[in-house]
This record gives sequence, structure tokens and C-alpha cells, in this order.
Amino acid sequence: MPKLKIDLEVNNRKVSKETDAHKRLLDFLRDDLNLTGAKEGCGAGECGTCSVFVDGKLVKSCLMPVAKAAGTKIETIEGLADPGKLTPMQKAFHKTGASQCGYCIPGMVMAATSALRENPSAGIEEIKERLGGNICRCTGYTKIFEAVELARDVIAGDMPQEALEEDAVGSSYIGHNVRRIDAPSKVSGRLRYAADVKMHDMLQLQVLRSPHPHAKIISIDTSDAEAMEGVVCVLTSDDVPVETDGFGVFVHDQPIMARGKVRHVGEAVAAVAAEDLVTARRAVAKIKVVYEELPGVFDPVEAMKSGAAVVHEYAENNVVKHIPVRKGDVEAGFANADIVLEDDFSTQQVEHAYLEPEAGIAYVDPDDVIVVMSPSQNITHHRHMLAHILGKPINKVRFIMSAVGGGFGGKEDMIYQGMLAIAAIKTNRPVQLNFTREESIIASAKRHPSRVHYKMGLKWNGEITAIQFDMVSDGGAYGMSSEGVMRKAAILSCGPYEVHNLSVDTTAVYTNNTPSGAFRTFGGMQAQFATESMMDMAAEALEMDPFEIRRVNMMKIGSKTHTQHELSAASLDRCLDAAEKESRWEKGTPNVRGDKRSDLGGDDTRAPCTLGARFTNDKHTDNERVV
Amino acid sequence: MERKLRGRGIAASWYGIARTATIDRAGAWAELDDGGTAKIVTGVTEIGEGILTLLAQVAADELGIKPSEVTIGDNDTARSPEAAHAGATRQTYMIGNAVHLASQEAKKHLFEQLAEHWNVEIDTLQSFDGEVWSNDTNLRITMEAAVAICKARGVVPVGSASFTAYGTGLDPVDGSGSPWQTYVFGTQVAEVEVDTYTGEVQVLGIWAVHDVGRAINPRGVEGQIEGGVVQGLGQALMEEYETVGGHTTTHGFAKYILPTSLDIPQINCTLIEDKDPLSPLGAKGIGEPSLVPTAPAIMNAIYDAIGVRMKSLPATPEKILSALKNKTPGRENYVLAAREQRAQAHRN
Repeated sequence: MPKLKIDLEVNNRKVSKETDAHKRLLDFLRDDLNLTGAKEGCGAGECGTCSVFVDGKLVKSCLMPVAKAAGTKIETIEGLADPGKLTPMQKAFHKTGASQCGYCIPGMVMAATSALRENPSAGIEEIKERLGGNICRCTGYTKIFEAVELARDVIAGDMPQEALEEDAVGSSYIGHNVRRIDAPSKVSGRLRYAADVKMHDMLQLQVLRSPHPHAKIISIDTSDAEAMEGVVCVLTSDDVPVETDGFGVFVHDQPIMARGKVRHVGEAVAAVAAEDLVTARRAVAKIKVVYEELPGVFDPVEAMKSGAAVVHEYAENNVVKHIPVRKGDVEAGFANADIVLEDDFSTQQVEHAYLEPEAGIAYVDPDDVIVVMSPSQNITHHRHMLAHILGKPINKVRFIMSAVGGGFGGKEDMIYQGMLAIAAIKTNRPVQLNFTREESIIASAKRHPSRVHYKMGLKWNGEITAIQFDMVSDGGAYGMSSEGVMRKAAILSCGPYEVHNLSVDTTAVYTNNTPSGAFRTFGGMQAQFATESMMDMAAEALEMDPFEIRRVNMMKIGSKTHTQHELSAASLDRCLDAAEKESRWEKGTPNVRGDKRSDLGGDDTRAPCTLGARFTNDKHTDNERVV
Repeated sequence: MERKLRGRGIAASWYGIARTATIDRAGAWAELDDGGTAKIVTGVTEIGEGILTLLAQVAADELGIKPSEVTIGDNDTARSPEAAHAGATRQTYMIGNAVHLASQEAKKHLFEQLAEHWNVEIDTLQSFDGEVWSNDTNLRITMEAAVAICKARGVVPVGSASFTAYGTGLDPVDGSGSPWQTYVFGTQVAEVEVDTYTGEVQVLGIWAVHDVGRAINPRGVEGQIEGGVVQGLGQALMEEYETVGGHTTTHGFAKYILPTSLDIPQINCTLIEDKDPLSPLGAKGIGEPSLVPTAPAIMNAIYDAIGVRMKSLPATPEKILSALKNKTPGRENYVLAAREQRAQAHRN
């Protein structure tokens, strides 16, 4: 690879190094200087996790070729404060709880620092705009805004330094706003995620992924790849014991690498372990796979029809799981209703978009224990599954949960740890695999999309007499968490209301789309989106206030849930009362009365955002709302 | 019609805590260490939600030391007791209670030795924030000294515990069962502004009210609610993973649109503390429940503002404009039908 000699200044130290000419500034900082505070979140300048200062200006280091950085002065998160110390901005992030998973936080701290360097008295609108190039998936940004405003006021002397310290404890640490114990490591960029870890003699793994949604694998020729200098091994499903291959949260239908056929675009087909990343990537391109394309099925309803392409042999009708819930007499309930509403609702597939793409390292320890270190949300189950696949007792398979840069359910599936383990066993060297953002998006599970057909019967007083709820979900190519998601969607389906007569069906279906899996609420939001929409439609039809119709039906202590579980505690009454009071809710029917309401635009709302020149140099006037 | 119209909507929600339709369990170990600090080891912890801090608070409060004096051990299947997985809104409930119980046992060993050493009844002993004392006496020492006394008497103050939450499977025919032992409830109100020229929706305010049982770290709970609300907002208005014939067309963050700092409403959190009667801590969970009501509350608010009901998420500007264009004047048919039916019923 062509080399480049580069001289620059990093964190006030002169650096003179020979490096690979193709590198980006981000690679140079992370690989050559071991400054791993700047993270790679997207590699395309869209997320801001790699933000650094170049000659004092905030720059996304994934977009800058290292050659362009020659002669510049670079400042990274590691250079903001002396080791063991935090800047007021970092302390403010610590104080307000502005870091959660922490992966976006070094970049966010850089952007926040830049905001106040550019304008020490920036108002909230300007702060928000200056943070606009940095994505955070955990915090909802609110505590970050609070941190930047706190830091601004402390730096300006408008608030005392003590405002950054932890509040004094009263008589208990329960109920106390203890500052997060992991925050200093996150706001300073010191915490190492799996992709930040290097081991001696470590190989890099890269994965060949399917370009087809559904195809038979006729042959895989790895000879050119294996012959390359720097390639240490090439893996295919031939390296996995056929009798035990298969993993999944509920049904073990997914092979470590595609076996015989591919079922979705992006499925792992083969992998290369090489001395360096570039060689591994080049070798992947040399693997020749002959596919015979098969008809695909891309719609869950179509997939259940006879004659549809079959995704998994064991499930001829492509149904992953159907969960029925029945209670009371639905026909009688509808017969007893004064009105019956019927409608359809749908939700989309959603990406978890944790800022940390999948990453991991596997190695064989001196006692022949295979160790996998990755941001897995379920090391317990992964250990069981991998031990079974490898034919080892579980004490010979060790999973370490590395710092997780966001999960939300998306890191429960063992989609790459198996490849890493087998590569480590085969090479007897540590092996690392870091996904790109694009790989993460095509290979990892999504939130189940849903289609709900809903029928609700009610009395004039708002009482629900019956519900029929039918949900179909695209489970994609593998089962993953579909069974559990359908179960939870069914259990929660009709919402926090006591419904005496109901019939609920939830069904997940295999298709050749990107798999759906676990995602924060596990089916609960899809189902309750439909229910809560129906409740407001019913309120309008019955000319009732939306709080009132919910109170008429809400579960109370002693209520029987949809699955006939008698509740020993229930707090919806308190939640409704508090929401009505805190939001200053003006009672009335939900009948498009927005233009007549008097409860809008209070101090507990923000000003609408209008992009463009709207800053002043005075935080006080900037904060005045323009409505 | 005015260009920008505002409206408000509400949605309620419920959720189950810990793993669904099965027995859930989690293990933890605790040890009071030389110097009066503590080690807590459990098999699964932080994914960003703040559980490390919460466990440190729980252990510190039970043992009588400061949270900063608690070290949480690795999440490692070969070095720590099983605690299952990081998900299902189970961390506070399952692992929090396991750590509470393990800490209680470690403290019991310490107090037994100290009670004998001081010749006082064990139930007169208390500890908090690094000090141990016997009520109604002058006996008061540091935790460091207390651990030294305990160890000098030949006892290492350690504890271990397993916490169980009882859930049952569902009947395969009618789905009956008790899938969780604990449920939470919540309600959110959304206030939106809809630009009827561009179809853009801005969420200006969210009032999020959630039962968390007991807020162990209120600021941490707010952080979970704020994060859940914004993920709900993203799903409501902009996020959509799309495929065409199995090939994604949203392969990066330029195409897959996520909420950024300019999309964030003011989020007003209210925590309801309806203590869980079935667990020692009384806390429940908030990770997932915070997201559930956001999207329907926003859709109900959009309806309030512009009179179109968005039944298909996300409510993108394109869908809003199309719905506005196709909107028939006056009320929707089901509303008219209901009114007619009711009038009929009254006439009868």
C-alpha cells in the first residue's frame, strides 16, 4: 500500500509519522495514534461521532483524507483536558446525565465545546443548531441541551462552579440524583468499545454478504482469496458443524453463514480473516459465489398464500408464529354495542440506529476457552447457543459484554459472534470484526412492521363491549425474536383497558426482507398505536373527552387483563390525572379543535424551529420565544 | 386555512416488566471490601440506560456506603453469576433486586460480627454513607473499621442472591396466563404544529407521565423517558427502513432520517411512584414503556390540528400533504354515522 509521511500537531504534541496514504484522518487518529475517543458511527459525515478540531474548526474526521491534515493542528476529545481532569463542559455532561451509552458523546462534547467557543453566550436555539450535525440515539438530546446551557453559564460566571458538582445526599441514596458513575469515562472518550480494542497479533475479519434476497448457493470458490498474501483463513458454512449449526432467540433457524441458500440481501455467505482490513476486504472481493436466483416473497400476506415461495422448509406456510388471545364472547359483545368502529393501521420497519455499529473480538485463551467479546445484549443465551454449535461445554465458551454503544434490542441476535469464534479457533489468533454502518443496516434486525385490522364495539357511555384485533407482521428472513414480539403484541394489544370480550391474533411471517427482531417495546408500540388511535376516534364519535373515555375503560386493581390475569396493582388512574393536570389539558371532544384551544404554547413547550439566520449574540433575547 | 395549525393529543399505555410469559431470574454477588468499599458482580449490566449507577445506588444504600465506593464487576459469563439479558425493561427490576438482596446478605454477616463485638442487639445497628452505628449508644465507626473488625473475627462479609419474577406461559388456545408479575402504566400528551404548505410536523411539547414504582435515580428515569419519547417521535414522523424487492433503499443515515437536536420537543416528565408490592425495592422499569404512547399521542395531536387521521406510520410530509389534499370537508364518515346512530337511538 502506498505510504505517506505526515507532520502535524495533535493535542499540542508534534507528530511525524509514516502512514497508509488511503487513510482518513479518523483512521490515522485511531489506528496510528491510538486516540480512540473519536468513533466511527457512519463513515459518511452524517452522525458526528468522529468530530475533532482541525485548526480550531469542528470537522468530521471520517470525511478528511489524512493527507489533508498535514501541517494542521488537531485537537481530539483526549486533548480537551489533562488526564484525569474534565473541562466544565465535560463536567456539565456528567452532572446532567447527558451521556447514556456514551458512543456519540465524545463527538457531542466536541460539538458542544465548539458551540461555546464560537459563541460563549449562545442561546438555546443556537446551541441546538450547532449540535445539529451530531446524532444521539439514547438521550433524546434534552439532558445534552441542559448540559451545554449549564456549562455556558458556569464558564461565563453566571453560575457557581459548584453547580457542576453532585447534589448533597439526604437520608438515602435511593431517589437521589447520583451522577452516572460511567460518565467520566464517556465524556472524556476514555471508555473503549469493542472496535477501540486492539490485541497483539490480531487479524481483521470481513464478510461477504448476499446480493440476492433469495437464491440457491451453487458453489463458493475461495481459492483466489486464500492464495492472497496476508489472508490467513476463509470461512464458509463448511467450517461450521452441519448438525448443530443454527441460532436464534426463539427458533434456531439462522446458520452462522448461509448454508445452501441465502434468504435476504446482506446475509453472511463467507468471511476472510487477514493481517489487515484492506487485505481482508480485497480478499472478500475475490470469493466467487455462483447463485441460482429463486423467486422471492416480500409481503407477509402474500407469503401466507399457497404457492408463495417458501423461505424455510420447516414452515411451509411461512408463518413464524401465530399467537391467539381469546376472552369472553366477542360476537355477543359486538351485538351489545351501540356503535362499532372498524379500521386499519400500519407501522413501518424501523432501524435501531445505535451509534455503535456491531463489533467484536474473539480469541482462544491458553486454557482452550473460546472467548468472544462484543456488545451483546444477551451473553447468557449467546454462550449457550455457541457452545451447542461448537459442541463444547458452556464453561469452554466465554462471552464478555463489551461496552454497548446503544442496543435497543438490536444487539440480542448472535449475527456475527459465531463467525468470529470460528475464525479464532481456525487461526488460533485474535480476530476482530467491525461492521460498517451499511453492513449494520442490512444485516441486523429491524422493528417489526405491522398491519392491524381493528374492530371495536362501544356503548354510548364509552364502555368498550368487544374488540377484534388482527395483526400481521413481516418477520423477514429469520425468526430472531418474532415469536416473542408477537406474544407481547398480543398480550398488550387492546391497551390498558379492561375489555370483557376480545379476540386477538398476531402473526409473524417469513419473507425475503431484512429480518425483523427485538426492538424497544417488542411489539407493544405497534399494537397500542392502533388501540390509542381507535380510542380517540371512538371519543370523537361519542363526543367524549379523550381522557374520559380512557377512564371509563381503564384497568384498575382487580381488573382482568386480556390474558385474564387479575391485577393486584394498577396506576393508570394516577397517570391520567397527572397528565391532564400537568399538560393543562382543556377538556373537550377530539374534533379538530386545535384552532380553538386555549392550552397551547405554554412555557412548557418549545418555540417552533425555523431554519435560517435567527441567532443573536445575547442568550436572553435568543431565548425569547417568537411564536 | 391558516398555514400553520396546532393541536394536542393524548395516548395511554401499559407494559409488562421483565421477561414475558416465563419465569425470569437474575443472580448477583456482593462483598464489603477492606477500606469499606464494595464489589458487586452480576452477569449483565450497562447498555446505556444507567443501570451501573442504579446498582451502585442500591448496593450503597443497603450496605451503608457511598455509590462512588461501589465497584461493579465485569459482564462476563466466566466470571460472574447469571443474570440473563439486557433488555425487556428488566434491569432495574431483576438485577436491582438481586443486588439489593445480595447486599443485604453481606451486610447481615458484617452486622452479626459487629453486634457480638459491641455486645448490642443486631437490630440496633445501622449504616449509611460510610458510617456504622448502634442506635441509642455512642458506638459509631467508619465502614472501614467495621469491615476490619469483621475480618479480624474471621468472617468475610459476602452475600449472594437470586431474584425471581414469576410469569407463566400463555395457553395455546385462548392465550390466558399471567405473563408478568408487574405491570406499569403511562400517559403522554403531545402538542404539535403542522405546516399545511409543506406537510412538516413539529412536536413542540410532550408531557410524559409514567409509573416507575420507585424512582431510584429520578434524573436517570427522565433520561430514559426523553430517549424513548424521541425514538417514538422518530418513528411517528420520519424514520422508515424501506426495501424494494428485498433490497434496502435506506442504507445509511443520509436516507434513513433520524431525529436531531432541532426536532426535539420540550419534554415534561412526571414520575408516578406506585411501589411494586412484589419486590423488595418497589421499583419497576421505564426503558421500553416510555416509547409506547408517543407516536399515537402525536397522531392524535395531528388530527386535532388539521383533521386528518394518520393511520400509517410514519406521518411524513408527503403523507400529510396527500391526506390534506384528499380530505373531504366536514367530519369523517364514522363520526357522522355514529351521530346518526345516536340520534336514532335517542328518537327510539
